[in-house]
Amino acid sequence: MTNEQAAAGPGRAANGGVAVEARELTRRFGSHTALDAISLRVESGEAFGLLGANGAGKTTFMRLVTGYLLPSSGTVAVGGFAPATHAAEVHARLGFVAETSRLYPDLRVAGFLRFAGGARGLTKGALAAAVESAIERFHLGGVASRLIGHLSKGFQQRVSLAQAFLHDPALVIVDEPTSGLDPIQQEEVRGILAGLRGTRTLILCTHDLTEARDLTRRVAVLHRGKLAAMGPTPEVLGGEDPLSLFRGREASA
Amino acid sequence: MREVGLLGLVAIAFGAGSYVATRDANQSLTWFHALNLAGGSLALLVAALASLGRLRAAAQPGLRAVLGRGLLGVLGAVALAVGLERAAHWSGLEFDWTLERLYVLSEATEMGLAELDEPVRATLYYDEEDPRARSTRLLLRALAATGRVETAEKKLGASPEEEDRFEVGSSNTVVVRLGDRFESVARPTEGTFYEALYRLRSLDSGLVYMARGTGEGDIERTADDGFSGLAQALLTEGYRIRSFVPAQGTPIPPEVDALVWLAPRRRLPETTLAEVRRYLAGGGRLVVFLEPGVESGLEEVIAEWGLRSPDAVLVDPASGRMDGDAPGVNPLAFHYGSHPISRGLGASRMTFFRGARSFELRKPEVEDDLWSVVLASSRSWLAEDLEVLERRSPPLRPASARSDYHPLVVAGRYQREAGETRIVAFGDADLASNRHLRTLYNLDLTLNAVHWVASREPAIKLLPKARVAGGDQFALPIQNTLTRFYGLGLLLPELLLMAGALVWVRTRSA
Amino acid sequence: MTPFWALVRKELAVLFGSPLAYVVLTLVALVSSLIFFDHLRIYNQILFVFASTTMGGFETDTIPDYVNLRDQVFFPVMENLGFVLILLVPMITMRIFAEERSRGTDELLVTTLLTPSQIVLAKFAVTFAFVALMMAASFVYPALAIREGGLGLEHLLAVFLGLLFHAFGLAALGLACSAFSRTQLVAAVGALALGFVLWDFSWASGFLSEGVIRFLEGIALHPHYRFFAEGVVILSHLAYFVGLVIVCFALARFSYDLRRVAG
Repeated sequence: MTNEQAAAGPGRAANGGVAVEARELTRRFGSHTALDAISLRVESGEAFGLLGANGAGKTTFMRLVTGYLLPSSGTVAVGGFAPATHAAEVHARLGFVAETSRLYPDLRVAGFLRFAGGARGLTKGALAAAVESAIERFHLGGVASRLIGHLSKGFQQRVSLAQAFLHDPALVIVDEPTSGLDPIQQEEVRGILAGLRGTRTLILCTHDLTEARDLTRRVAVLHRGKLAAMGPTPEVLGGEDPLSLFRGREASA
Repeated sequence: MREVGLLGLVAIAFGAGSYVATRDANQSLTWFHALNLAGGSLALLVAALASLGRLRAAAQPGLRAVLGRGLLGVLGAVALAVGLERAAHWSGLEFDWTLERLYVLSEATEMGLAELDEPVRATLYYDEEDPRARSTRLLLRALAATGRVETAEKKLGASPEEEDRFEVGSSNTVVVRLGDRFESVARPTEGTFYEALYRLRSLDSGLVYMARGTGEGDIERTADDGFSGLAQALLTEGYRIRSFVPAQGTPIPPEVDALVWLAPRRRLPETTLAEVRRYLAGGGRLVVFLEPGVESGLEEVIAEWGLRSPDAVLVDPASGRMDGDAPGVNPLAFHYGSHPISRGLGASRMTFFRGARSFELRKPEVEDDLWSVVLASSRSWLAEDLEVLERRSPPLRPASARSDYHPLVVAGRYQREAGETRIVAFGDADLASNRHLRTLYNLDLTLNAVHWVASREPAIKLLPKARVAGGDQFALPIQNTLTRFYGLGLLLPELLLMAGALVWVRTRSA
Repeated sequence: MTPFWALVRKELAVLFGSPLAYVVLTLVALVSSLIFFDHLRIYNQILFVFASTTMGGFETDTIPDYVNLRDQVFFPVMENLGFVLILLVPMITMRIFAEERSRGTDELLVTTLLTPSQIVLAKFAVTFAFVALMMAASFVYPALAIREGGLGLEHLLAVFLGLLFHAFGLAALGLACSAFSRTQLVAAVGALALGFVLWDFSWASGFLSEGVIRFLEGIALHPHYRFFAEGVVILSHLAYFVGLVIVCFALARFSYDLRRVAG
């Protein structure tokens, strides 16, 4: 795996517009197979949805892409680099938005953004400018000096989104961005994500079909670790009972 | 399985803890200890094996390589740690920051050695098993550093004849030789070395008359309330001592370097007082120790020289209770005036008085010099009711009593036609008794008063204090410590807690 | 600001943004002050009783050997404080890694430019800085009281060094426990139990063979720690604590590998 991916490094340009590519990607936890030989490609600039019920393997896939977990077998590459061996190259291109609760409640918004930018290699003027523009872009001006733990979930999700865009990444992975939000907050977050489409590659992990329809051009549906379906969003989710995909149907696309 | 490991750790901690807590009462391993220790160890083992098994099951060959590398890293760290410790162990490097290493010889020893015409030879006879030899070696090293002492070491039993000749009876004995004379010091400290050195030198510092016969402190009495210790210390300093019995009507000869008067208990005859007046007027030198509740007549004599002592007991609330007496009647003094007698004394070099009176200074003539040499704390006051010495309850300060730095020891120097008169008056005699002479810096204060009165200022010094291996036996002034305790020991935690409270409130309201 | 320093700053902000840090600082400063003052007071009392009730002389030691600063103050203060630290240090270390895991923020951390080694190093560095501050706060008063008396400040420094390295060792143990735990409570209990177990093995000398005891004493905290109270700083004892920190660092680093493999 390592050699293959290292070889893929210089060949990144040859890959053309491929942002993420998984080949036979498998992950097992003991006897449980969380992800079973998944192969898929996400093109550069594409808004890609990863769908599935809870426990379908979405989070595992995402963690393999970010390098948080190592694959049991198969390969995954981000911009031609394997997260396992070229973490720095992958993370420089990657913005990651975790669920709302995955923030530091004891930090103030601006302080947290400064940390997030610094941790991604931004320094001095560039860091200050990035934090300032993120605060403006995600409408955080009014809460910049407040503790994250005291913000509403909607604001917390905005903070989470803001930190992922500080270093202007080519690829943004967003995990369940509207989970736990009330309908108004959900609309707000979806509005922000809609505005991001086309500017960079977006991988949206969700179990919300409406969200996938609104925000993505192509989707893959996972069921029990296997690819149940993949194709243009209107095609995959356009059927009479798209939910049946969540219950299990072999990939047809 | 992590839970099993954690429970095992807790069981081991309880097994060990209970064993340690009860081993004095029960030497053997009870079922409780054994069960906890064995069960805990077993649980740890099971947890470790289960974790390994889980990892084996979870990890594919590729992942195992990652794990293997990680484990190799841990093993490497263990090897590095052990290597570091072993290398440091083999280097044998250690830094001695003990008090003995920092030992600075007292000025008295330095002076004594500097005055010698030839170096002293000091040989340590020791047994290899004797731990006391360490501090003796450090003492000898400090002595050798002066360049005036040649040191050597000999194992006990290596030269029996020599040991016989120098009367070496036990390990950790130092034989000090000056010329063909020697002194054998069985418990070597700087103090005993200093003593031996002075005995070997046989100095002549002058003649001291010590008054006797009207209930004065007895310089031959070796009990706690006697003053043999003071006499011995004066002899060590090279003074010749004669008893002066005023009742016999003998005049005080002018060649006396110091007349020491230790707390007469009765009224002195007028003839005696007249003789003292005559002696002083002719350039006499007097060190007098007074006691509250006694009017011997000497109080009137020194009052004529501007050292008036009202008959009252000094109460210093800063000193607290001592030996079951009423609190404050035994002043612990740590304030000193600027005078040769108190040179070197200070906040950590205290002197102790037991039932003392105070003084008021008023110059008889403008050119005279009067000093407060030792003072009680600013909280001290004078109790005219002498009963406070008998009671155990805290004396109550009447509104008329003034709190001030009341002097406990005073000194006067007077230029008269017949010569220079010098007087030092102590408000207490107990400080120089056998019981209290070695307490804190009492001996230094007393001897230095005699040196000053005898115009032997160069002899004024602080004597070596008793030292033992590994520790400093000096007292810390509890008053100052108390100030620091409130000022920092308690204030700092208070401020920290306040900072914590502020952070807490701010995080709640932000 | 490099990613490493960004993390250091964030760790400091989180640590000092929590009241718990101040409570622990307060407890250490207060306990050390009380223990020190009490021992100093008793030492003064004993010293004075001996000095004032025995007839002194150069030929006889007026005060028994055991009445000295080392035996009456430094030794007991160090013993007591050393034990108290076993209880207090885990209160600080428990959250350092475990909280990131329980909140899921560790996932955020590893998607930045920070390497696992940098993350562990930053957390160790900040914790050690806090521990150093904690020990400094606990020593301001003893140092000033001792200086006031013009006594053995260097000896006190040896005591301080011993306590500091002991606290570093305990912090490293606590951090390693925290790195392998998902909950703070487990991390704290683990560190506490480990601290107690590793404290001293001399109790087991009654029923374990001499060789085993010698090995156990080699890895125990107390046999390496107590020498500092003597005023003698032995390099191999410092090396023991440095080694302990290195091993705990490697273990904490390993926890990241373990997590990537085991999930």
